[in-house]
Amino acid sequence: MTLAIFNGSPRKQKSNSKILTDHFLQGYRSVAGQKNVITEFLSAKDQMVQNLETFSMATDVIIIFPLYTDSMPGVVKEFLEKIYFLQNNRTKNLGFIVQSGFPEAIHSVYVERYLEKFTRRQGHNYLGTVIKGGVEGIQVMPPGMTRKLFDNFKKLGEHFAEKGEFSNQIMKKLKGPLRMSKVKYIGFSLISKTPLLNFYWNSQLKKNGAWEKRFDRPMETQAKGF
Amino acid sequence: MVTILNGNMKTSPNGFDLYVNDVARALEQTTQVNTFHLADMKIHQCIGCWSCWWKTPGLCAIKDDAEPIMKAVIHSDMVVFASPVIAGFTSSLLKKIQDRLIVLIHPYIEPIKGECHHRKRYDKYPDMALLMQKEADTDDEDEKIIADIYKRLAINFHSNLKHTWFTDTQTTEEIAHDLSHI
Ligand SMILES: Cc1cc2nc3c(=O)[nH]c(=O)nc-3n(C[C@H](O)[C@H](O)[C@H](O)COP(=O)(O)O)c2cc1C
Repeated sequence: MTLAIFNGSPRKQKSNSKILTDHFLQGYRSVAGQKNVITEFLSAKDQMVQNLETFSMATDVIIIFPLYTDSMPGVVKEFLEKIYFLQNNRTKNLGFIVQSGFPEAIHSVYVERYLEKFTRRQGHNYLGTVIKGGVEGIQVMPPGMTRKLFDNFKKLGEHFAEKGEFSNQIMKKLKGPLRMSKVKYIGFSLISKTPLLNFYWNSQLKKNGAWEKRFDRPMETQAKGF
Repeated sequence: MVTILNGNMKTSPNGFDLYVNDVARALEQTTQVNTFHLADMKIHQCIGCWSCWWKTPGLCAIKDDAEPIMKAVIHSDMVVFASPVIAGFTSSLLKKIQDRLIVLIHPYIEPIKGECHHRKRYDKYPDMALLMQKEADTDDEDEKIIADIYKRLAINFHSNLKHTWFTDTQTTEEIAHDLSHI
């Protein structure tokens, strides 16, 4: 078995997708050792030919990406188009990990339907789509807030190395409820009236000296004429 | 005003471009139309740097041909996402400019019906429509998958997906007629 993991984040090395992949791989390698895993970045420059070669030779493929405007980033779609037109496309096990900024799973379940159909249309074996929301802030969160998440990704990797599939139980944990519960929604609505909810954005706006400009509408005010 | 984003790739058959041009021509009788043929433009993918949200609010850091599109979209009553279906979805070229449109939204989050969404940056956002050309094996399920994803996009852009057209079931005049009544 050769596992190839493609990271579809345009942020590449600095991506949340990379952090989650690293935890998955830590678990995976603790069971399978160092062999037979290849990781690639879909946004790396002039990498398409190499990526397609890696895809072709792998038996198991995981594509991990951030949700971008409710589906896959353009570069991930580009890769899927290239795979789609590959000749002699040997059947493989294909799975996806979709992680998003918004915490609710509802945002990612629509693209999941696409990913499943894409896989089946190609005649590949669909391993499922791991969905995880609320990921944007992980690089600035204190370790206590990410421990459970990273642990679950590690376990996901261990299970994958043992069974060649995503663990349903861990997938369920990561996905969480489709929408906020009533109680959470009420709490959230209250918090949204305070600066707490947008603390992440506000602190960065201030750090960048852009706080005063946060409500700017430059596309409206600049000279027209397209 | 209507903005048409034509995501036909250079490698696809150009019958789709002729179709889009016919729609635009018919529509020009009644309204202002901006058609962007993305394959002829320099459009980089969004690199997720958040400059448009926390460094230069409302402005993208990437200097390419995207800004006139962003401006046209926000000044329009309707934006048409036009593309041949490729591998079961609209083209990657179209998706790249679509991702860049987050410049038009505000980073602040607001809860709506148990879901998080971003606040508006502008007062008004255009309605949305999909115009697609089927590939050999496009079926009803594909149509629903694509339309459902664009309905989600519309929610996040404070908009509505008003139409889903396919070139084989709609004449260019019918589409122009629908668009002239927005
Ligand atoms: C252009 C763009 C579009 C995005 N669209 C969505 C979206 O539709 N829903 C969502 O929950 N998060 C969205 N996000 C947030 C990312 O999914 C989130 O920040 C993710 O953790 C980034 O992962 P990465 O560092 O691996 O790229 C978007 C981010 C960008 C830059």
